[in-house]
Amino acid sequence: MSALLRLFENEVQIAALSFMAVVYVVRLAWIFRFKTRRDRTFAAGDERAGAGYSLMNIAMPGAMESTRKRPFFYAQFVIFHLGVAAAIAGTFIIPYAPGLFRHAVLVRLFRAVVGAAFVVGLIRMGRRLTNPVLRTVSSPDDYFALALLIVWFAAAVLAMPNRPEQGEAPLIAYFGLTAFFLVYVPFSKICHYLYYPFTRYYLGRSLGHRGALPPAVKAKEPA
Amino acid sequence: MTRRRKVPSAVVDSPLDTRTQAKAKEDRLPSVEDGRLMTYEAGDNVGRFLALLAGRISRPLAVSMTACVHCGLCAESCHYFLTHPDDPTMTPVWKADQIRKIFKRYVDWTGRIAPWWVKAAAPEGDEDLNRLKNIVFGSCSACRRCTYNCPMGVDTGLLVRFTRGLLTELGIVPEGVFNVSRDQWETGNQMAVTEDDYLETLAWMRDEVRTELGTEAVEIPVDKPDCDVLYTINPREIKFDPRSIAYAAKIFHVAGESWTMPKWGWDQTNFGLFSGDDRLGAYVARNVYEAADRLRAKRIVISECGHGYRSTRWEGYDWAGYDQKRPTESVVVTLKRYLEEGRIDVDPSRNAEPVTFHDSCNIARSGDLVEEPREVLRRVCADFREMHPNRRENFCCTGGGGLLSMAEYRPLRLESAKIKADQLRATGAKLVCTMCHNCVDGLNDVIKHYQIPMKVVQVLELVSNALIVPPRRKA
Repeated sequence: MSALLRLFENEVQIAALSFMAVVYVVRLAWIFRFKTRRDRTFAAGDERAGAGYSLMNIAMPGAMESTRKRPFFYAQFVIFHLGVAAAIAGTFIIPYAPGLFRHAVLVRLFRAVVGAAFVVGLIRMGRRLTNPVLRTVSSPDDYFALALLIVWFAAAVLAMPNRPEQGEAPLIAYFGLTAFFLVYVPFSKICHYLYYPFTRYYLGRSLGHRGALPPAVKAKEPA
Repeated sequence: MTRRRKVPSAVVDSPLDTRTQAKAKEDRLPSVEDGRLMTYEAGDNVGRFLALLAGRISRPLAVSMTACVHCGLCAESCHYFLTHPDDPTMTPVWKADQIRKIFKRYVDWTGRIAPWWVKAAAPEGDEDLNRLKNIVFGSCSACRRCTYNCPMGVDTGLLVRFTRGLLTELGIVPEGVFNVSRDQWETGNQMAVTEDDYLETLAWMRDEVRTELGTEAVEIPVDKPDCDVLYTINPREIKFDPRSIAYAAKIFHVAGESWTMPKWGWDQTNFGLFSGDDRLGAYVARNVYEAADRLRAKRIVISECGHGYRSTRWEGYDWAGYDQKRPTESVVVTLKRYLEEGRIDVDPSRNAEPVTFHDSCNIARSGDLVEEPREVLRRVCADFREMHPNRRENFCCTGGGGLLSMAEYRPLRLESAKIKADQLRATGAKLVCTMCHNCVDGLNDVIKHYQIPMKVVQVLELVSNALIVPPRRKA
């Protein structure tokens, strides 16, 4: 392994991760700067149940008409995000637990998942470029973030066997892109996962208090 | 806005009409004089708008501003887009982006540094603010159907109301919104009903019920202290549909209810919900709560009104900074309780025609009542059938969000009502029941425009029809 690859796999990743962590802390502080209001009404439902249901929405394609009617879209979402998770896992496995990728089955599994995510990424890019609604609302960041992920998935698939002796370029590309990602993510739409718990929690808490979520749970107002 | 996109929809070009605002200033109305009712003034409105935006934003709003990933899944949840599928400006995501881009430009990080990268942009003048007014007032009924369909949990309905509130502060509002707000500030009710009109109508309805039941024992008490129920209504009931008061009075009489209506604080509707004006919302809601305090009522009962229910039961307490002290419920819940407790008996064969139910957005999506009206209707109707989709997935009557008071947006509203018309037709019902006065008018517009052989009724009317009046309650 060359010194350059070692640098990319270790020090560069740690520096980028640290940068991302610092920016996220600042971002969280920024979010908490905004005030919330306490609810002054008698509850008709359960806030915690509502918030929990809302947070678990991600795993309930039947909960929303928008995903219930588009199972293919939901499947794409699952594959895409599993691909992200697998590609992130790869950046830790390769430098810190390289033994895992000596198991051919595991390598094949990771490459299949990330490869499927790559295909979904292409489908999503096609949708974003051809759907008039998405074309109208999309910003350069929307396109760039998606393009970046597609390239990253491709690099991950090529790098996953972790065979630097067969050529370091895929690994350098993979870790280079990862480092860039870590620095870029807090400023792009990709950090939506940071907001998801907040949007879902506040919506679920409010609607849970009112008894609207979860749909089946209904408490009585105090007499 | 910078980098402005040409918007095809005619609705965004509706001009700002300030004639009634000018008249209100000329008449030196107290609400205008003391700054409660804001009017349009030329000047640095963009600066004021931005200051308000930065000062008023809450955490749930801030995360709804930042979390959208532009997935477009909200599009097909919106009746405006479903009826205008070739117009991206009818999608919730585009509408929300119009305020989101301002937030990004002035409050968020990336938009402040590289606005073009995230399509952040600032309004350049009053013309842009007027365009924003037309988008948030004219092409969205704030029904929150998109909110329930957003994977990220972005509350576009909340963003729209927030934006409306900022524009209301600047007097950049549709004329109808100004007029209704003016009436509610000036008279305590949104239809400027005088106290004499109110009391005379109540007496008239009392006499009607007395004649129907043949007994003088029927009362519509006003300002009677220590009652179990303080009954609050929609001014539309006084102006256009007083029979609904008679239905309630008849049912309360038969149920042996201890009830009263307040002389002041009887309007449970609240235009602050639609205009985004929390101060108006607080004022109107507080009127109701203080009436209940003054009369030591044990429970506030709200007549059938969607936004009135949401405002009085849920939002009003928060706007007014008033901790809830007593149960506050829809009259439909009261009716359900009467049926369960055997305080009233009904004969469903008296409502023989097929009935379907339209869920009010403000009650089903922003409130808690979905099964209650159905339980009542199943008891009082011989043929109850569901509309699809229903409950929290129901489509807006298209008259929500105060749109009935904004004549300039009526053509677009009626175009978007095709979804509702198709829903109604598919039921094959002769009657569509709703527990919202706004929806009554909205649905009547839809039925008339699309020539659907259907009549709109409310739960009270159907219960009153089916009510078996025991001899002890008659003459």
